[in-house]
Amino acid sequence: MARDATPAGAETNLREDALAKPWGTIVAFLLPALTIYVAFTAYPALRTLWNSFHKVLPRREEAVGLANYVELARDDIFWRAVRNTITWACTSPLLEVSVALVLALALYAKVPGARFFRVAWFTPVLMSYIVVGILWLWIYNYDWGPVNVGLRALGLDYFAKPWLGDPKTALPSLIFVTSWMWVGFNMVVLLAALHSLPKEVIEAAELDNCGWGGKLVFVILPLIRATLLNLIVLSFIGKMKIFDLVWITTKGNPLWATETVSTYVYKRAFEWTTFDLGYPSTIAAVWFVIVLATVLTLTWVFRLREKLEY
Amino acid sequence: MPALKRALLLLLLSFYTCFAAGPFVWAAMLSLRTTTEIHRNHFALPSPAHWEKFPEAWFNSNYSVYFANSSMIVISAVLILTLVGSMAAHCLARYRFRLNRVIYFILFSTIIFPPQITIISLFQILVQYGLYNSKIGLTLVYVAIQLPLTIYILESFFARIPSDLFDAARIDGYSDWEIFWRVSFPIALPAISTTVILNFILLWNEFLYAVVLITEEANRTLPLGIQRFIGDSQEDVGMIATGLMIAIIPVVVVYAFFSEKLIQGMTAGAVK
Repeated sequence: MARDATPAGAETNLREDALAKPWGTIVAFLLPALTIYVAFTAYPALRTLWNSFHKVLPRREEAVGLANYVELARDDIFWRAVRNTITWACTSPLLEVSVALVLALALYAKVPGARFFRVAWFTPVLMSYIVVGILWLWIYNYDWGPVNVGLRALGLDYFAKPWLGDPKTALPSLIFVTSWMWVGFNMVVLLAALHSLPKEVIEAAELDNCGWGGKLVFVILPLIRATLLNLIVLSFIGKMKIFDLVWITTKGNPLWATETVSTYVYKRAFEWTTFDLGYPSTIAAVWFVIVLATVLTLTWVFRLREKLEY
Repeated sequence: MPALKRALLLLLLSFYTCFAAGPFVWAAMLSLRTTTEIHRNHFALPSPAHWEKFPEAWFNSNYSVYFANSSMIVISAVLILTLVGSMAAHCLARYRFRLNRVIYFILFSTIIFPPQITIISLFQILVQYGLYNSKIGLTLVYVAIQLPLTIYILESFFARIPSDLFDAARIDGYSDWEIFWRVSFPIALPAISTTVILNFILLWNEFLYAVVLITEEANRTLPLGIQRFIGDSQEDVGMIATGLMIAIIPVVVVYAFFSEKLIQGMTAGAVK
């Protein structure tokens, strides 16, 4: 979907509507959306901020100033969760997008059955994280999961292990699952980008005796750069939010090896018997700032300021 | 030589296909076998196929309730989203006024909000207003979380409708509402159906907000039902697989009929 930065025909609209601005109509059209936005997004977000300076118990609230923030700075589990989440958000996008690029190029090279491949590869995205999580719990099962069964069949018994039960392999195993899930999505987007490339440019490169590798590095990659960076930012944002998959598979275990910020907030708010909603709000507020800062930095680094999408 | 290369490439792609679609096929097979059969051999074909497991899960394990709840919540949320979102998008694309871009930016920037920033207070707010543990509450929250993306996709489409059309409609005596409902909306149907499919899939699979805002058995959505079910019967692999398939089937049906449209929907916004 190509789109312009400024709406087509904006000039004529501007001139015409500057004469008579139908404020009543504008308000009527926007009111439902803005009401929902204020009630269920803006107000809750501000209230979370307010909560973060309070102790919020079921029947009473008391102001505690910066106490929650001080506690958070010394909370090792929180920092562990931050490290896990950031590891996830940095490795997964690169893995997804690079594998997807290889697959998209393969399909772009006019392989027979391209349509079938495209449909088949897209299936993991259709399933919810809950379904995917349960499936991979089975796939990683120590006794009968395909991974270990396969390893044993190859005589590599030594490598068979409870993948999600070992603190060393749990996080990489889950990162692998998210990448498995999203490669197809990235591939489809990249394929669309490849198909929208001007044929003449590639043909010109071929005429110049440009090899396959040269064509890729000097012609194709620069042309789909914007799409690649978009996909990376998109995947990054998605992984910073990750909750469902961890919750259904490991709940952050073993030994906080797969704890993410989302699961930790949930645990502190609704599972731990402290009943305090203030502290988890502090985590949410700090995390919000971290996410915002990293996404802004990313888009700034990529010089994508006006292109940040989704 | 090129033929050999081609065959090698094809082999590689087929290999990846097994890897990508294999787990789904495996789950489908498991869903038709009993747990005893599965424990004998985890990778055998479902013969004989135990289709009766589906009605069993549907009636005995409460999947009928979960399914009805999910349908009700997701369908109403998608309907509200479509109407409210397209109204706002039409307004932002069509009318030029001060604050237009500010409102657009505020709505749009919510896309990167981590859900934690709202979820704890949403819990408090819904409890206060008696919407906690209710389908209406969850529906409204679902509308709120998908609104930015919906407006974003629709606005860019509405903005490309030539304004001459609106001028012509106005000369014909259409009111502002009629211009939206009888000109903009029908023209934007391709983009609208994209957002409908996208919102349907995303909300059908949604888990985090549901798990925080719903605790009562009677109001559980499918993802929550599945979670409860594996909590109760961890070892009953066969039945769990049947439940998973029940949750996937609507999405697969949509996919079977609208695979192009759906891929378009899922990828909307990421293609430059």
